[in-house]
Amino acid sequence: MSAARDPLQRVVVAGAGQLGVLAAIGLRRALPGAEVVVLGLAPDPGALADRAATALPFTNRLHDRLGIAENDIVTRAQGSHRLVTRYFGWGEEGQGGAMPYGASIDPALRTRFAQEWGGGPRNAAGQMPAGSLGEVLADAGRFAVPPEGEPSPLAEVDYALRWHPDGYRALLIETARKLGVIHAPGELAAIEPDGAGGIAALSIAGAGRLPADLFVDCTGPAALLLTALPGFALEDWSVELPLRRLIVARPQQGMLALEDRFSLLSEGWLGEVAGRAGLQIALGVAPGVTEDAALRALGAPPLAGFQLEPGRARAPWLGNVVALGDAAARFEPLAHLNLDLAHRQLDLLLELLPGRAIEPPERAEYNRRSALTMDAVRDTLAAHYAAPAAQRVFGLPILPPALAGALDQFARRGRLPFREEAPLLGQEFQALLAALGFTQGRGPQAVAAQGPAASAAAEALRFRRQAEAALAFAPPYAEFMVR
Amino acid sequence: MSIEQRQPVRVVVLGGGTAGWMSAAGIAALLPGLASVTLVESEDIGIVGVGEATLPHIRGYVEKLGIEEAAFMRATHATYKLGIDFRDFGRIGESYIHPFGSFGEKVAEVAFHHYWLELARQGLAGPLGDYSLAVAAARANRFTPPAQDQSLASTYGYAYQFDATLFGPFMREHGLKLGVERIEGLVTSVEREAAGGDVGALALEDGRRIEGDLFIDCSGFRSLLLGGELAEPWEDWSRWLPCDRAAAMPCAHVPGAPLRPYTTAAAMPAGWRWQIPLQHRMGNGYVFASGFLSEDEACAAIRASAEGEPLADPRVLRFRAGRRRNSWQRNVVAVGLASGFLEPLESTSIYLAQMAITYLIELFPEAGRIDDRDRDEFNRLVDMEYDRVRDFLILHYHATTRDDSPFWDHVRTMEVPASLADKLELWRRAGRIEKYSDGLFYDASWIAVYVGQGLLPQRHDARAAFADPMRVKAALDRLRQAIGEEVAAMPGHEAFLTSETTRLADPA
Repeated sequence: MSAARDPLQRVVVAGAGQLGVLAAIGLRRALPGAEVVVLGLAPDPGALADRAATALPFTNRLHDRLGIAENDIVTRAQGSHRLVTRYFGWGEEGQGGAMPYGASIDPALRTRFAQEWGGGPRNAAGQMPAGSLGEVLADAGRFAVPPEGEPSPLAEVDYALRWHPDGYRALLIETARKLGVIHAPGELAAIEPDGAGGIAALSIAGAGRLPADLFVDCTGPAALLLTALPGFALEDWSVELPLRRLIVARPQQGMLALEDRFSLLSEGWLGEVAGRAGLQIALGVAPGVTEDAALRALGAPPLAGFQLEPGRARAPWLGNVVALGDAAARFEPLAHLNLDLAHRQLDLLLELLPGRAIEPPERAEYNRRSALTMDAVRDTLAAHYAAPAAQRVFGLPILPPALAGALDQFARRGRLPFREEAPLLGQEFQALLAALGFTQGRGPQAVAAQGPAASAAAEALRFRRQAEAALAFAPPYAEFMVR
Repeated sequence: MSIEQRQPVRVVVLGGGTAGWMSAAGIAALLPGLASVTLVESEDIGIVGVGEATLPHIRGYVEKLGIEEAAFMRATHATYKLGIDFRDFGRIGESYIHPFGSFGEKVAEVAFHHYWLELARQGLAGPLGDYSLAVAAARANRFTPPAQDQSLASTYGYAYQFDATLFGPFMREHGLKLGVERIEGLVTSVEREAAGGDVGALALEDGRRIEGDLFIDCSGFRSLLLGGELAEPWEDWSRWLPCDRAAAMPCAHVPGAPLRPYTTAAAMPAGWRWQIPLQHRMGNGYVFASGFLSEDEACAAIRASAEGEPLADPRVLRFRAGRRRNSWQRNVVAVGLASGFLEPLESTSIYLAQMAITYLIELFPEAGRIDDRDRDEFNRLVDMEYDRVRDFLILHYHATTRDDSPFWDHVRTMEVPASLADKLELWRRAGRIEKYSDGLFYDASWIAVYVGQGLLPQRHDARAAFADPMRVKAALDRLRQAIGEEVAAMPGHEAFLTSETTRLADPA
């Protein structure tokens, strides 16, 4: 008969940024009998997941499960909502498009049986849906968070949250304290190996020794714990991701907007993330662009610059050390994926949470799934640089094989091969490619479809009605936020 | 020149069995104008008629082709299927149902089976099947279609059990209506194009030549085009799946016995025996390994074990487990047995044909020209599907304590593929399922077989033991209770079948 494993007794999270604190909350909730200690290292300014002022809708679901109330983020961390990310000029001059969230779920996949057992995600993609409610609402500047559990014209609209990182982190710290997470300030003095490929304890300057069963490395790109282990190896992404320099501007006047923007300029890409806390502007500088030209393109006083060496840990879980966020993978903040990836990894760790004795097969499974997600993130970013106009700015792309295959299938056949563990749903990736100016081909079924005009018209009419209902229901976003 | 202006691709389907007519009708229905479909079959060649039992995916195919469910069920004498009852696999005397459905729900990020394992350890849980609506309905011989929402009543699916010898003809009728041209004739030779070596035409016994752009090989085990003409290598899997024969013998229903909404697979000394209840008869057969049992012995065994009055003498089918290295080579795509074979233990034969047809339609030659990239993509997908099913089937033999016959000794102790060994190790050591979301058989299926065959992990998630066991037990009891109430409200399988086919046959 199977027996329950001995639970983890003590977990140390290294790094007290917004990621480390949320990881501690998740672990503490999962292990009410364990001691969860956050080692409050000074945050690494290059840790983009820790600096992120936003994530993707996945994070909302994780917050729900970990008891972080969305309303608290809105009221106490200057939270706001994003319905779409707009892309300008990636296809060609004047071209633009929006990437909304969620899939207008296939009715055939509505039952729990179909989702869990049958059908599979065989996303023969097909053509784009008639429209996106998120985009219609963003265009009109109208939105309200749909009432939970009630049918409403907004029920299918998914959104991401933005916040002020300091306010959000303070909120998380308060939650962590209430849950009994222990905070250990100090600097890492030494790492004591356990002789089995992992760590026995951390030595903290002036504060002694922190032993644990499991260590979670949230120390940013330095990956202080993971890189100290004998099995550590890095997978270099610099061939696939051409960006080397990022300049961040001083936050500008805050603004309420339901969209964020990524525009392609001849100097690189310009990201504009709106929000009540301030408009965050960043420039991903194209190779060969001078500092002066880059600063002009940034269009606002610079705050900081970063050198980027994109890549990921070959195995983010070694011995008893699991690296999350920038400690596992580092890359540019281009599609709001930095914290999204970190949160997916945290969620995977909570799903596959080990016992006190870690079993090698579970570590292998975590690394397998985590690598699938990380590589899908890399390919999502690489798709940006492969966009028609981006190629002129960033140079001819060298595409990872899976992405090359997907782009080829998309262009010629209008289909996207399914990817296990990818951060974006098939329909979201499809929308992203369209927004980036890739042309979607038509699959044989679309070509053969009889009477496509009639069914497309019916679909368009159905969508127009839906959009009208949504617009009538949703107040102007500013009004909603005043409540 | 755009694809619309081209001449339709001339598709030639070789073989008029289940796979042949499913392919022909599918392509004709879904690619009108893009393909013209000709099917060559011969009345002199019998069909295997595989797959009396199916998986829920068949419903998608039937629906997509615009076929009315009731008409289809009437024509094929179909019954509803909620899963498969596996008997004596893990140990003689034990049985479990692998349902088209899930068990319980995860709580606090921990999958249901960890809680179940913890309660079972304490002697507080019923059999795992008690927490599956599909299993409970099957055991009670009841059926109603699942709800289309997120409630408990939506946690299962269903498939059909039908007369496979009637399914092919039904699809033929449908295909002919869709404009498939049927040619009666025996293929005597295959013509290759001088340039490139693609297949150009099939030459028939009576001298006719059937030209085509794309050939679909549905010639069954003979694999006339792919295996024969193109000599595509065969990957043999019989070292893991040694069964290579089936002795089939249809029987009358046992008078008064209830009509089961599930298939039965009962382990035998050298394989296993199926029982598939159809409207008009019971399908019976013994799938066995000829290295461990002679054909005569198998026929005698099926005669001795079949419950109803035999309707025919046992008929022996021969096969071998494996697949062609590539299912699509040059301009030949093999569908069904011509592409590969996995024994019907999990009713996957028709699924595998349907899967290949679906991918072929998705990757159908653009403007009539086959692109290597599409062919590679098709082969990648087909391989992934076959390999996943293969591992799942091997598990049924390997996860056993049976040592009562040389056959079971062999499968119990054999070395399994590395991909399966890894899955087994993850389960044994941590009670977890290697996750994938594409292909066939997800977590619930693996758990059903592992637990059902007595292969419990050494350890389960620590978190499952945190809660007060009596509270967890109360939650499980409530679930079992709710399932019982759902099942009690369902009509009997036979009653539902009768009322439904009557109602739909006579809409007035």
